[in-house]
Amino acid sequence: MIAIENVVKVYGERRVVDGITMDIPKGRIFGLLGPNGAGKTTLLRMIMGLVKPDGGRVRLFGDQQPGSDGAARRIGYMPQELALYPGLSVLENILFFGRLYGVPEAELRRRARTTLEQVELADRQDSLVGTLSGGMMRRAMLASAVVHQPELLILDEPTAGVDPLLRLKFWQWFNDLADGGVTLLITTHHISEADRSQEVVFYRLGKIIRRGTPQELLKHYQTTDLEHAFVKATEETGGNNA
Amino acid sequence: MKARWIALRVIQEIVRDRRTLAFFLVVPIIVMTLVYYAIYQDEVAKIAVISRGMARLFSYDLERALTKEKNVVVAPLSIPDDEQDPARLEAMIREALKKKQVDGVLYFPERLITDRFDGKPGALYLYVEGSRPTLTGTVGSAVGNAMSDLSAALPVVIDAQCSAKCANSVNNKAIDLKKVYVYGDEDYRLVDFFLPVLLPFFVFFFTFLLSTISFQRERVRGTLERLLITPITFTDIVLGYLGGFFLFSTLQMSIVLTYILMLITYPVTVWQIASLLVVSIAVMMTGLLLGLLVSFQAHNEFQAVQFIPLVILPQIFLSDMIWSLESFPWPFRWFAMVLPLTHANAIARDLMLKQLPLWQLWPNLLALAALFTVVLVLLGWVGKRSRTMFS
Repeated sequence: MIAIENVVKVYGERRVVDGITMDIPKGRIFGLLGPNGAGKTTLLRMIMGLVKPDGGRVRLFGDQQPGSDGAARRIGYMPQELALYPGLSVLENILFFGRLYGVPEAELRRRARTTLEQVELADRQDSLVGTLSGGMMRRAMLASAVVHQPELLILDEPTAGVDPLLRLKFWQWFNDLADGGVTLLITTHHISEADRSQEVVFYRLGKIIRRGTPQELLKHYQTTDLEHAFVKATEETGGNNA
Repeated sequence: MKARWIALRVIQEIVRDRRTLAFFLVVPIIVMTLVYYAIYQDEVAKIAVISRGMARLFSYDLERALTKEKNVVVAPLSIPDDEQDPARLEAMIREALKKKQVDGVLYFPERLITDRFDGKPGALYLYVEGSRPTLTGTVGSAVGNAMSDLSAALPVVIDAQCSAKCANSVNNKAIDLKKVYVYGDEDYRLVDFFLPVLLPFFVFFFTFLLSTISFQRERVRGTLERLLITPITFTDIVLGYLGGFFLFSTLQMSIVLTYILMLITYPVTVWQIASLLVVSIAVMMTGLLLGLLVSFQAHNEFQAVQFIPLVILPQIFLSDMIWSLESFPWPFRWFAMVLPLTHANAIARDLMLKQLPLWQLWPNLLALAALFTVVLVLLGWVGKRSRTMFS
């Protein structure tokens, strides 16, 4: 699904992404866990073709280049910020993004209806996004990111600032999507989110410091929670001065 | 006084945003320079004096009197001395005025002398270009003053040239000054001069402003990032913005144009209105592309807003909109050539005041098209980097 080979990105004298090599298989929920400023968003942007690597290469869906038309059609993206048009209604936002991906109109409207029901926003579909609460906006964001039925869904801190109940719902939706064959790449600095991923990468200072399923990581670091596992992994690779 | 901490924070932010700081310090200098050159001297009118036969006896004194007038220079005009045919002479004078070689031509026909010998007042002709009321006024008052200075000396000149018999009949008869307008007439008001350029100005100003801000908003709220990862191309984004703004710009154009037409007093044809709309649409598209270009270069809303005076103010000063470009030193005059409104204003005035057909205005149209192309190419170049603009 995603093949990353020795990718490097340098800003000034800082190696934000420092020789990352990894592959992400299809249909998995893949968590990228690391502190703020670790370079997670930069790595995501390289996968989406928004940032050009200074070294190495990224291949998607076999041999497609990030940013290519073919790859773009198969990716959905939910950024950290509430990237919707506040002057448009929830439905209008979803239809707008769906149209950009070339989904036929009748099919798009059918999918928009289904998606709105899934994220429990059907009754607010005509509300302007600017009038929604933060949690509703996040749900509208998710709906607009999946309406074109992407094969790869990239989520940057998807439940940041979301209350615990809604977070649980989000994870239910993520699992449903993965069950449907969608690959989810989630960046987070919340341990609880990484815990729910099927596979986790500990990411620090632009480098992968450990990869495995949550169970494998807990076993490797002989601990009961991922937070301690991450701390131990950090200490193992040279302290915690991130 | 907690306010000091807010002040400190504001200072720190501005100092660290070097581009904003540069704008903050440089824009006033640019504007002050423009204001200085715009108002430090009055508009100077160029007047040529042409005379034939014995009328040269008058013209010499009047030319000398004109040189003493303020805001006027007497300029030579390359019309052959042996050209005597009045019709051809008038055609040459009109051509010189159309080409802006001079702003006014004072013509002393040969028959002025014979008329005066016959006891008639005789007529002098003042040809003015006419489209710029301020210059027409300067030329008219300078010639009027020079003629009143001349009237005292006139009988003496006549005395020396004709017998005592004719002198009595000529003395004390004021020469009739006939004004001939190449464009418009004496009813042209200052407001008529300004009204035509308001349409391109408003269209450019608002389109540039809205496209700069709208695109910056896309970037700030993260929707630009989302747009750029979709399969749409950069051309789609630009065309989409053009299409979206076209509707509202056209509506705005219609309102401004209707208002202008209600205010002007001279007749306007449908063809003139259609031509002005075509030019305004070209200005709208250039303004929109320039707004997008500026928005791409600005790293935040602060910088985007600073670009607005930097792009708009020079066009107010240097596009011949209010102040004559002639008042500015040559570097400014050259710079004015790369400003869309310089050409749009020239076209608007030539269309409305001089009533010239659009095709005759091809140099300005070509310049406008060239500027549009340059902005488009620059935007295309920036667009190539758009997918990696988050680097």
